[in-house]
Amino acid sequence: MATPDQKSPNVLLQNLCCRILGRSEADVAQQFQYAVRVIGSNFAPTVERDEFLVAEKIKKELIRQRREADAALFSELHRKLHSQGILKNKWSILYLLLSLSEDPRKQPSKVSSYAALFAQALPRDAHSTPYYYARPQSLPLSYQDRSAPSAPSSGSMGSSGISSVSLCGLSGPAPTPQPLLPGQSHQAPGIGDCLRQQLGSRLAWTLTANQPSLQTTTSRGIPNTARNVTRSRREGDTGGTMEVTEAALVRDILYVFQGIDGKNIKMSNTENCYKVEGKANLSKSLRDTAVRLAELGWLHNKIRKYTDQRSLDRSFGLVGQSFCAALHQELKEYYRLLSVLHSQLQLEDDQGVNLGLESSLTLRRLLVWTYDPKIRLKTLAALVDHCQGRKGGELASAVHAYTKTGDPYMRSLVQHILSLVSHPILSFLYRWIYDGELEDTYHEFFVASDPTVKTDRLWHDKYTLRKSMIPSFITMDQSRKVLLIGKSINFLHQVCHDQTPTAKMIAVTRSAESPQDAADLFTDLENAFQGKIDAAYFETSKYLLDVLNKKYSLLDHMQAMRRYLLLGQGDFIRHLMDLLKPELVRPATTLYQHNLTGILETAVRATNAQFDSPEILRRLDVRLLEVSPGDTGWDVFSLDYHVDGPIATVFTRECMSHYLRVFNFLWRAKRMEYILTDIRKGHMCNAKLLRSVPEFSGVLHQCHILASEMVHFIHQMQYYITFEVLECSWDELWNKVQRAQDLDHIIAAHEVFLDTIISRCLLDSSSRALLNQLRAVFDQIIELQNAQDAIYRTALEELQRRLQFEEKKKQHEIEGQWGVTAAEEEEEEKRVQEFKESIPKMCSQLRILTHFYQGIVQQFLVLLTTSSDESLQFLSFRLDFNEHYKAREPRLHVSLGTRGRRSSHT
Amino acid sequence: MASGLEARAATNMNAVRDTMDVLLEISRILNTGLDRETLSICVRLCEQGINLEALSSVIKELRKVTEALKAAENMTADFLEKF
Repeated sequence: MATPDQKSPNVLLQNLCCRILGRSEADVAQQFQYAVRVIGSNFAPTVERDEFLVAEKIKKELIRQRREADAALFSELHRKLHSQGILKNKWSILYLLLSLSEDPRKQPSKVSSYAALFAQALPRDAHSTPYYYARPQSLPLSYQDRSAPSAPSSGSMGSSGISSVSLCGLSGPAPTPQPLLPGQSHQAPGIGDCLRQQLGSRLAWTLTANQPSLQTTTSRGIPNTARNVTRSRREGDTGGTMEVTEAALVRDILYVFQGIDGKNIKMSNTENCYKVEGKANLSKSLRDTAVRLAELGWLHNKIRKYTDQRSLDRSFGLVGQSFCAALHQELKEYYRLLSVLHSQLQLEDDQGVNLGLESSLTLRRLLVWTYDPKIRLKTLAALVDHCQGRKGGELASAVHAYTKTGDPYMRSLVQHILSLVSHPILSFLYRWIYDGELEDTYHEFFVASDPTVKTDRLWHDKYTLRKSMIPSFITMDQSRKVLLIGKSINFLHQVCHDQTPTAKMIAVTRSAESPQDAADLFTDLENAFQGKIDAAYFETSKYLLDVLNKKYSLLDHMQAMRRYLLLGQGDFIRHLMDLLKPELVRPATTLYQHNLTGILETAVRATNAQFDSPEILRRLDVRLLEVSPGDTGWDVFSLDYHVDGPIATVFTRECMSHYLRVFNFLWRAKRMEYILTDIRKGHMCNAKLLRSVPEFSGVLHQCHILASEMVHFIHQMQYYITFEVLECSWDELWNKVQRAQDLDHIIAAHEVFLDTIISRCLLDSSSRALLNQLRAVFDQIIELQNAQDAIYRTALEELQRRLQFEEKKKQHEIEGQWGVTAAEEEEEEKRVQEFKESIPKMCSQLRILTHFYQGIVQQFLVLLTTSSDESLQFLSFRLDFNEHYKAREPRLHVSLGTRGRRSSHT
Repeated sequence: MASGLEARAATNMNAVRDTMDVLLEISRILNTGLDRETLSICVRLCEQGINLEALSSVIKELRKVTEALKAAENMTADFLEKF
């Protein structure tokens, strides 16, 4: 051919147009203009320059079209072409041919031709129209034809893991590859679909971005040099020198990324880092870069070690397992990146010589590409460190601690892991508060159940909070509420035998459980979660209290306790005591329970107590305490109130023992009151009678005085006990119970009530001294009663005798005898003398009694004034209202200190 | 020397022809629809380093234009024939 090789491109282009259109040069003017414009517009700069790659593509295309024979033929031809050195850019012509090739099976699209037709008609006649308006369809058409196939492939790439920030798109920010995607559609769609599909979007971007820098416009010289350089590099490798090339390092690094020792880079266990072997002949920069890259491998090892260890640990629990699963997923993404890098390396190996510098893997490239994964792995390794040795709720707290960071990338990653990790905890929680079921084999949940506890102690002992397992995103208050809700449900089911399904009880709809829930928990923590817990809490507690009050009449029983055990029902108590008096005077060993029970029932029937509900009366009973020698009935008698079932949760055995102690105390005080009343009665009755025995008046007077003192004392004590102790505390208790929101409140209020009563009734350990004094006072009262009885007996006897004597005298006079014989009179005189002599004895006895009594009361007063309880101090004022004792007791003279208390003296 | 040059030119031309034949064969296999002339122009353009994508799109467009024109001619011909 004589045609010169070097024609200008324009001329060539024009010739091309002529040839294809089959017209003369003049006619092809606008097509030529268009062609020039397109060529000049430079819109698709990226093409791979590898001849072999293109050849492979062609072969693949042919095979795809099921033309294997042609593919073989093509290989043959290509080989021939390759052997001839005429063409410089074999790849370009091959590429062009490929792009121009048409699948014989493909139908030509009619639409575009018509569109082109219509677009054609007008401008052909009107030359003045600028052609780019004239051909609007064709330009974008070709554009879209190219972008359309690339769009779906870029869409699929957005989900590729390497540059994706969040895995499931739950809570993370918009993945950063998004802005890249529209840009990519402008990039060379025809870059080589296989390459694009292999690499992630960001990798593709970086790879293709390298291409434009070496445009075809200036390309002539460079590909040659590139080829030459690669050739020389390859030769260097196979030459077997000691020099470690970058390619070898890259290979090593890719192994190190997975934690496997490479040829030159090995793990040094002593220093716990990767080191490049010292003897390798390596430039310093390469060495440094390699070591920097090796960090990724170190991080990977750390994470891998943790997950491997944990997977062997049987007792790691659900939370830990989900944590490991999350880590696994992250590692999988990392492995995906590694596989891409590997395949790139593989490609270089396969394609052999002619790969240009631009698209090979270098350490620098690796640095850039692994930057994001490195940050991710660093975060994960830090998490792994922090979570060592923890499980369950603790683990969740540890992960939660890491979400408190300002870096949004890290925060989204950790939040994602946190939502996965806390999902089991939340499912435990929802199960617990809606069903009351706890299936926690690995002890991860913060509610612990003790299986050894029986149902009677279910409320108090069976369920406790495991404080260490409370995650840090659940407050203490919430966790207590959660415990309470589940406890109430279990209580209802087991103790109250109330099997109402939870759905009826709780109007709150149960939300579906999913990781989405867990993620929501962290974005909306204040409202939704708290609201759920509160709603469940209110409903459950309300229902529980309703059941307790209606079905088990808890409040009624509380009032019954007050009436019977705390001596609230006065008439009943009085009557009971009257009936029991003759019985209880006997020694304790002669008492029989059934006798006493019979008396109790008589008392009930005779008083207002009969109008109580039979349920309550059924529980009332007599209890005989343990008998010590020398006890009378008074010492061993006690009332009792039986409790069972749910009521026993509030009135536990301890509470009942407290009640019995208080009953004992109150009963004794009441008894003293009645004794003194009897003494008073005795006074009333016998005063008139004994006026005729004038010697007695001194004794009797003393008796009266002592009795009055005692009456005053007991009176004040009773007032104090009844009003200041019992009534006030009871009022408080009743208010609290009415306002209570859940069973815990009731139990707490009840315990406070009992504690107050016990301390105020001097029954607790700190008031032991006071109580002893009081007991001593009571003993004195009994002594007085006995003494008084003796005195009255003697007095009455004497009176009787004297009356008899008078009677006899009268009788004798009536009979006409001497009224009184001398012997009789003497006898009478002697007797009266004896009687008179016995009086001082009685007097002194009484005086001793008085003295003793007063001493005790003074001691009691001193102790009262030094006590810390205010109401006891006021009691001391009332007892000594006229300073009767103060006059006698020097210690009471000391003025009150600044705090209104007398300091205690020994 | 001249003969050497000529000989080399001759071998060159033979080589060129062979190359062209091979390329033509390849283009036939690939169904590109390019004839020898067009192919040679293309080769020359490629050797000069043209933007391949652009070139191929231009060729495709030109082809479409040709088809459109042919279709138009056929249609008008048919139309005219009827009447």
